Amino acid sequence: MFWKAGAQEESPRLAHFDRDRLLVQRAQRDPAAFDALYRRYLAQVYSYAYYELGDHHEAEDATERTFLLALSGLPRFEERATPEDGEGASTFRVWLFRIARNVVANQRRARRRHPTAPLEAASNTADPLDLEARTTERAAAADAWAAVDRLPGDRRRALLFRFVDEMSTAEIAGVLGRSEGAVRVLIHRALRSVARDLRSADER
Amino acid sequence: MTLPIGDRLEAEALLTDHYLDALLAANDRHAQDAPSDPRLDADLRRAAAWLRSSLTRVHPSFRFEERLAARLAEVAAGLRLAPAAGGEGGSVPFRGLAFDPAQEPGPGFEDEKGRDAGPSRELLIGGALTSAALSIAGAAFVAWRRSRGQGSPMARAVRAARESRALGRLPEVDARRALD
Repeated sequence: MFWKAGAQEESPRLAHFDRDRLLVQRAQRDPAAFDALYRRYLAQVYSYAYYELGDHHEAEDATERTFLLALSGLPRFEERATPEDGEGASTFRVWLFRIARNVVANQRRARRRHPTAPLEAASNTADPLDLEARTTERAAAADAWAAVDRLPGDRRRALLFRFVDEMSTAEIAGVLGRSEGAVRVLIHRALRSVARDLRSADER
Repeated sequence: MTLPIGDRLEAEALLTDHYLDALLAANDRHAQDAPSDPRLDADLRRAAAWLRSSLTRVHPSFRFEERLAARLAEVAAGLRLAPAAGGEGGSVPFRGLAFDPAQEPGPGFEDEKGRDAGPSRELLIGGALTSAALSIAGAAFVAWRRSRGQGSPMARAVRAARESRALGRLPEVDARRALD
């Protein structure tokens, strides 16, 4: 457990042994060392932005803003970790994704005023020469994205953090500013909605 | 025994959470079979497996990655130069630099403009307070001047001359009388 929840589990307190501690400390001393953190989290931030916004260009904009804000805000980042909280998770990642969430939320609001086309393709894991597999994966990704995009705000975010960025419930609680229990319920309800969508798609 | 709805939902959510942990861990091990937990609804398990295989992590283009890396290096160099050039002086937090990017966006946090509106609000409030204080001080000064009474002999003479001119009398006589 790296989020030590208070007695009521209402406001989770950040406390764990941060696997990014050394990199963060180095980058705080020398901003040029931020590059290592950037390379580590680029794909995660970009993926989150991509599934939230459904457009490569918008995802690139959001990713760029997120990392620029993180770099300029890094001197104020405070890691409140204790070694007994265990390893494997990152307070820096939680902080970074809080920035990403704000940036993406702003872009989604702006996009509502200027709607764009839906997600074109989502997977780059298939062999580029295997066109059939690639088409199938694209279709599956677009369906999944459509199902997730129908979900309300925090349910959608929680699901993306869990599946795309493979965050723990505790980390998601930190990013969304909710308790772990609330995040578990969010994900459970989101999954139920997606299951309903799948069932109705089967019936059609 | 039947659990209340809230407790039942939390219990189901906990079960789902454990299942997702197992599912994601199996994926990390490149295991072929998804874990099965008969206590969890089959539709939920299917939805989870479908999302797991469909929502893959996406990598940006190499060109974008390198362009942003270069931009960050440029900004980092600027941040390094700033303390070297003026390191002896203190910094004054102003406008965009004063906000925490990871904080919850407020109602005015719409875009770059909205973000700037946050810290400058303090200046607006400060300005309003200052102008209110000046107005009160001004009113107090005028009231004090009015309550001062007749004032010095010279002032009385000037006032008497002005009044007598208004009434059509000889100003010199009145002024002399006022000085007596």
